[in-house]
Amino acid sequence: MYGWIWRHLPGNTPVRALLSFVLALAVVYVLFQYVFPWAEPLLPFGDVTVDEGRAGSGQGR
Amino acid sequence: MRRVAVIDQDNGSRTDPPPPPRRRRPWLPAVVSLLGELLITAGVVLGLFVAYSLWWTNVIANREAERDGNEVRESWAKDGPGGEEKKEYEGGDGVGFLHVPSMGGEVLIKKGTDTDELNKGVAGYYTDPVEAAPPWEGEGNFSLAAHRDGHGAKFHDIHKIDEGDPIVVETEDTWYVYKVYETLPRTSKYNVGVLADIPEESGKKKPGRYITLTTCTPILTSDYRYIVWGELVRTEKVDERRTPPKELR
Repeated sequence: MYGWIWRHLPGNTPVRALLSFVLALAVVYVLFQYVFPWAEPLLPFGDVTVDEGRAGSGQGR
Repeated sequence: MRRVAVIDQDNGSRTDPPPPPRRRRPWLPAVVSLLGELLITAGVVLGLFVAYSLWWTNVIANREAERDGNEVRESWAKDGPGGEEKKEYEGGDGVGFLHVPSMGGEVLIKKGTDTDELNKGVAGYYTDPVEAAPPWEGEGNFSLAAHRDGHGAKFHDIHKIDEGDPIVVETEDTWYVYKVYETLPRTSKYNVGVLADIPEESGKKKPGRYITLTTCTPILTSDYRYIVWGELVRTEKVDERRTPPKELR
């Protein structure tokens, strides 16, 4: 997978390294900005209130 | 990403284009190596998620809390000393600050415990399932919730609060000084009784002016709830220089 990407990046080795770095940064950005904020409420790590157990109601974190 | 494959003319199998030295990769190593790369990727993504939860959400939340807190302080300063205190709040309004010296720092208090609001690094007072009685409304229980980890982690050190410690609520014109009289390090997340106007589980039988802090426990999970109860000791008028009560000095 990564080898395939590497082979398909244009340019010589330094250029490819730079592009890889930019790609990795883009992936991290997408994860932090969109994927993790979406995933986090689905995981049971941040519920801090007591409630009446209407599970998954979103209230009560 | 678009997968470009060309047909190898020799044997018709799919291979990747250029790399001339190895024209045809045996399929098993290729599959194993893909699987390995996917697993490594999954590991890195999970690691990033931990960094996101425990670090990045704090960065975001603290930034927002600071901005919102400054807004509240500015509006107080504009009203000037002795200004009429606003007593009606909408969900999400900043109403004051919570000071717990044994837990550290000051925490902006907002109305409501919606996830979106708590994620902004504040302590929210309950409107549901049991409505909190804010201190300016007299008797009742001022119940608050905040994050233990991530999103500002404002109640991270709740376990450092001991009986006898002060909890101070600062509003525009009053310092409400509470004293912790009971803690409950672990209770069910469905135990809404802890929010009652008279929290009997804390040993109280008579109406009074109580404060309840709730957050999740153990650290990093939210299987249970950690509860701290306090009772109002006295109130102090805020003076022109907003001199804090002696508990905070």
